[in-house]
Amino acid sequence: MQDTITSLINPADEKGQYLEGNRLDQLKKYFQTGNLRVKAANQIGSSAASIISQTVEKSLLYGDITLPGGNMYPTRRYAACLRDLTYFLRYATYAMLAADTSILDERVLNGLNDTYSSLGVPIEPIIQALQAMKEVVTQRVGTEAGQEMDVYLDHIINGLK
Amino acid sequence: MSIVAKVIAQSDMSDRFLSSSELTQLQDFFNQGSVRISAAQKLAANEQKIVDQGSKQFWSQCSNTPSNSGDSQKTALCQRDQGWYIRLVSYCVLAGNSKPLEDIGLDGMRDMYTSLQVPLANLKLAMRCLKSVAMGLLTSEEAALAGPYFDQLIRAF
Repeated sequence: MQDTITSLINPADEKGQYLEGNRLDQLKKYFQTGNLRVKAANQIGSSAASIISQTVEKSLLYGDITLPGGNMYPTRRYAACLRDLTYFLRYATYAMLAADTSILDERVLNGLNDTYSSLGVPIEPIIQALQAMKEVVTQRVGTEAGQEMDVYLDHIINGLK
Repeated sequence: MSIVAKVIAQSDMSDRFLSSSELTQLQDFFNQGSVRISAAQKLAANEQKIVDQGSKQFWSQCSNTPSNSGDSQKTALCQRDQGWYIRLVSYCVLAGNSKPLEDIGLDGMRDMYTSLQVPLANLKLAMRCLKSVAMGLLTSEEAALAGPYFDQLIRAF
């Protein structure tokens, strides 16, 4: 995976240059947001299960999807949905820490649409859940860190569309 | 790879969010951000000086070596490589991780210099001289961050 630091170092190395000017400024900005990122990752990681419960409650729980014939019925499929939403939250948190989307492309989105369509999993409810997750996460971590998480949750949403 | 990518990969391997010790590691890294940047900037600004003074120190201890053979082309090449190693150390300081040095400058390095018939023992000494000049230009905080990467470089030869 790439992260924002290596994605700045690698092109500099290609040219045999030190990190200077614009690239160094970008790195400075990243360092300055580091504490915000670490704090948010801590809050999210320590309350992941409750973030997921609340996300499901906000988006899917009271819809037809949890009834017989729906894609979150029976319990096995409900659990699979929780598992996938937890993956999304975890990888978005990684990407937020790294300030880089490449881990989402490599580890989450690559082949995901095909997997879901071959399993007959509808995409629209997942997107609803991810939208709800954005709200729940922002409530937990605050507006500034929430906006940062939105970037990566939106990246998953756009990748699923 | 940076320290950030490293702890993420570690967590990902075991399917979990970052542990509190990993988060603390990143917190410490970010807190040193401005020192890391000033250290890297000083190494960049003083590369030539570090190489020039380092070479003088080196030749005073080891005069019979390719860079001191009177062949200016060889000298230029050796000093160019030394400058490159300073640059790689600066990347490591910024990344909080020795991977830039390992991936760019150490993997295959021994084979390369052996084939170029540059004695590794001489290079080890040359790198030690670079370190000593560089350490003198950095504050103690900056030196504490850059020193270990120079040490790793010296050990590798």
